Amino acid sequence: MTPNKFLKSMAAGALVLGLGVTLAFASADDQIKARQAEMKGNGKAMGALVAMMKGEAPYDAAIVKSSIDAMAAGDAAASEAKAWDASSMEGATIETWAKPEIWAEGSDIGAKYQAWVDARTALAATTDEAGFKAAFPALGAACAGCHEKFRRPKG
Amino acid sequence: MKRSIKGLALLAVLGLVAFWIVTTPRPLPLSALPTHAPNVVFGKILFNAGGCQSCHKPNPEIAGLDQNLPSGGAPFKTPIGILYPPNLTPDADTGIGNWSDLEFVNAVQRGISKSGQHLIPAFPYTSYAAMPVEDVLDIRAYLATLQPVSSPNRETGIPLQFILRRGIGLWKLAGLDTTPWKPDASQPEIWNRGSYLVTGPGHCNECHTPRNLIMARDNSRVLMGGPHPEGSGKVPSLHGLVERGRYKDEKDLVLAFQNGEIFGYEHISAGGMRQVQTNLSKLPQGDIEAIANYLVSLK
Repeated sequence: MTPNKFLKSMAAGALVLGLGVTLAFASADDQIKARQAEMKGNGKAMGALVAMMKGEAPYDAAIVKSSIDAMAAGDAAASEAKAWDASSMEGATIETWAKPEIWAEGSDIGAKYQAWVDARTALAATTDEAGFKAAFPALGAACAGCHEKFRRPKG
Repeated sequence: MKRSIKGLALLAVLGLVAFWIVTTPRPLPLSALPTHAPNVVFGKILFNAGGCQSCHKPNPEIAGLDQNLPSGGAPFKTPIGILYPPNLTPDADTGIGNWSDLEFVNAVQRGISKSGQHLIPAFPYTSYAAMPVEDVLDIRAYLATLQPVSSPNRETGIPLQFILRRGIGLWKLAGLDTTPWKPDASQPEIWNRGSYLVTGPGHCNECHTPRNLIMARDNSRVLMGGPHPEGSGKVPSLHGLVERGRYKDEKDLVLAFQNGEIFGYEHISAGGMRQVQTNLSKLPQGDIEAIANYLVSLK
């Protein structure tokens, strides 16, 4: 290999590597965006339910159903976008408040996620106001369970 | 030459003596204890306001301990190593059963252990120092009513402890303000109660007030937020909670303290606040309203 050729191949290698790294970070940004969109959607759905819990809005079974459906749809969209893959731990240009502990060995994120899915299912099965009010705290507690452990305080 | 070496040696010895004198623990004398008939009910409220249980929770390596009793021994991570907060139950051998009231008050308000050593200020005696001694005696009386639990205290995992503890004596000169909390006569009673709970037992300043270069609280920025003590993320300012849209009004903040994320108040879960919120939710309604009243007044 002539020195010139050697340099050229080095440059090409560096370019490919650099591009790869950039792409990896770019997709981490997209994953984080998808995750934050999911959380925003959850927050909105929760807001409608909390208003009923506090008595600020009347109990409405249709809103309970649409809120739970919205969370399930957000959950599905987030998995589609790989929003919770370990590759999303750090973004290139977007700040994330998700702690790396989520992806650490021995992390119980799976169990915490399941608690959320179960609480959603239980709430969806309620048919009246008393049932809704009894089932709702478990959903809030499931949110808190993850946030307490896996979310950095935002300041 | 010989002279200057002698001079230096003398200076070093003088320096050590000065360090020794300056860093000597200064406990309160027995005369500082008032005659006081302790109130166990008040003591329990202050125990919850202080969140004592959160740090003095049971040793996870001993099976079957009551998780609601402060038998201590759970690891508490600090930047300088792991501490194991001690057993606060009245067990005579492993708890504080045979501590005197004065020993208790000196630990809580001056950061001095039963054996006379400086305590590491992860224990927020820097806030408790502002409390009236009577209130500390109420906590002591409440603790004495708890079921004694045998759970031996664990050695901290902090290197060079002897020198470090002595150094805390030096730090206390700047970092331990023993001025008692005083009510503001221009404010209503509810505001003053809130101010007291936040400043004294609640020790909110320990995290919500930033620290200066020597790690003393920066009193020019009280409750204005700062870096998180665990090193990740920020502790929010408690000023302008309503103005910044964090809470709708005083009533909303009361609901947040009482229910936390169970009612969708998501900001009150992260960074250790869920434990704080759980403890505060156990306070009487009037005290929670007082805390909210005071906090909302911080613009």
